[in-house]
Amino acid sequence: MSGRVTFAFLLLLVLALPGPAGAEPTEAERMARWSDLEHAIFGDRVVEDAGSLVAIDAPARAEDAAIVPVAIQVAAGLAPDVRGLYLVIDNNPSPLAAHFVLGPLAEAREIATRVRIDDYTYLHAVAETADGRLYATARFIKAAGGCSAPAGKDQALALERLGKMKLTFADRSSPDAPIAVKLLVSHPNSSGLQMDQATRNYIPADFMQSLDVTYNGQLVFRLESDIAISEDPSFSFSFRPFDPGNPGVIKAEVLDSSQRHFSQSWPVPAAAQM
Amino acid sequence: MALPVIEIASGIFVHNGVQEEASAANQDAIANIGFIIGADGVAVIDPGGSFAEGRALRAAIRTRTDRRIRYVILTHVHPDHIFGAAAFREDHPDFVGHAKLPGALAQRGDYYLRRLQGALGDGASGTEVVSPTVLVAGRLELDLGGRRLTVRAHGPAHTDNDLTIFDENTRTLWLADLLFVERIPVIDGSLGGWLKQLDELTAIPADRAVPGHGPVSVLWPAAAEPERRYLAAVAHDTRAAIKAGIGIANAYREVANSERGHWLLFDEYHPRNVTASYKELEWE
Repeated sequence: MSGRVTFAFLLLLVLALPGPAGAEPTEAERMARWSDLEHAIFGDRVVEDAGSLVAIDAPARAEDAAIVPVAIQVAAGLAPDVRGLYLVIDNNPSPLAAHFVLGPLAEAREIATRVRIDDYTYLHAVAETADGRLYATARFIKAAGGCSAPAGKDQALALERLGKMKLTFADRSSPDAPIAVKLLVSHPNSSGLQMDQATRNYIPADFMQSLDVTYNGQLVFRLESDIAISEDPSFSFSFRPFDPGNPGVIKAEVLDSSQRHFSQSWPVPAAAQM
Repeated sequence: MALPVIEIASGIFVHNGVQEEASAANQDAIANIGFIIGADGVAVIDPGGSFAEGRALRAAIRTRTDRRIRYVILTHVHPDHIFGAAAFREDHPDFVGHAKLPGALAQRGDYYLRRLQGALGDGASGTEVVSPTVLVAGRLELDLGGRRLTVRAHGPAHTDNDLTIFDENTRTLWLADLLFVERIPVIDGSLGGWLKQLDELTAIPADRAVPGHGPVSVLWPAAAEPERRYLAAVAHDTRAAIKAGIGIANAYREVANSERGHWLLFDEYHPRNVTASYKELEWE
């Protein structure tokens, strides 16, 4: 529940802050903003500079601000200790884009998704370890307009496919390697920042609140998210089954802000398994 | 001031849009727009990219005929084609649009308007989002008096709300943005759907076609070939990129490079075309 409270609180906090519209913020203002966000998300906990332990992979300039691929990467030495990953888009209307809670099966080396970016901004990724330490890294990205940009190129298809998921396995380099997976969820994940010109009403936000990925009932990760995740959310991640010799089932469950629940399962094929 | 127009066939007038992005200098007059005159009235096919361009188009009509402007056809949701609609309100025409146009306008109208205001400044004044009053789901026949136009609603292609118009008298097929010539096509509906629509459209025996961008009149179906080649290359190479595990941000570097040099505004639109295609094709 604490995740929900944090998301709601952050939105209030940010509405109270001077908005990103107007003059381009100075570097000092950007630093102050992150300091406020850090405090809002992590309270009085110490957030350390991650150095080379955590990195963000993202294009320096996004071609499409509504679909910006972002990967959080964790160094091999730190990865086994990581239990949570936070992605913060400092200048977005709702900055905490994603909080991944990693289960025992997760491979924390890399998790990738696609996000909306509203204005030139720092991205921050924070890794949280089992003993409660926090490691933060930052990356600046040039992109604008992603949150209010219209979505839905083919609206009939979007409705028909709502909640459907697609999962693909990457080829494994060796039987010892973790199983790498790409998961797509068909969902408008609309931001509520788009206005219907005829009615002058904002189109209600309708977004994925949580995603739980399990393997044979054990948690790979739980994601708490909101409007910053792009339309048709996409996730690339890896996991290590405890019993790699036995066939398993990977399951994804989505709860959205309209309280719709979607769930789908896939057998892990022998090729990926072995 | 009257917008310059060219009579490409008897009673069919087209303004040649400039091959640029919208700006204060061009008043967003970047698309091919125009009108068809019949014995009983006039049909406007796309009122233009701003109120100012709509006014100038209306003036061009009035230098040629006093007949009533009965229809303003909105070929799809993009602002460069339909943001001049408010200039025709005084004529009380039917505003004709695809059945899915109202939904697309609800999603995008406000965003497009703000973006136009950003690009044109004061030049955007008077521009409004005008909703269609007559919706087309399949076909609609419009009788202009001794002249019948067939308006056809298409499945998702350039957008999910594309209309084409066929004038039987002159066998002219007005394709709007289902046909791009010289300027790079913009994929904002469905790549697969567009290729399918092209198969059907190229089977139509027309003497000429009017593209949404490019020359005001082209040979049909020969003029469709470069567009089909580009779309097919994007489809083929994007599928290959997805299969090779290349991410969505980098895929455009690997896709349809042979097409660079064949199109105006390639770098402005090609990366987004590939992103859109990637999102569509990764569900296959």
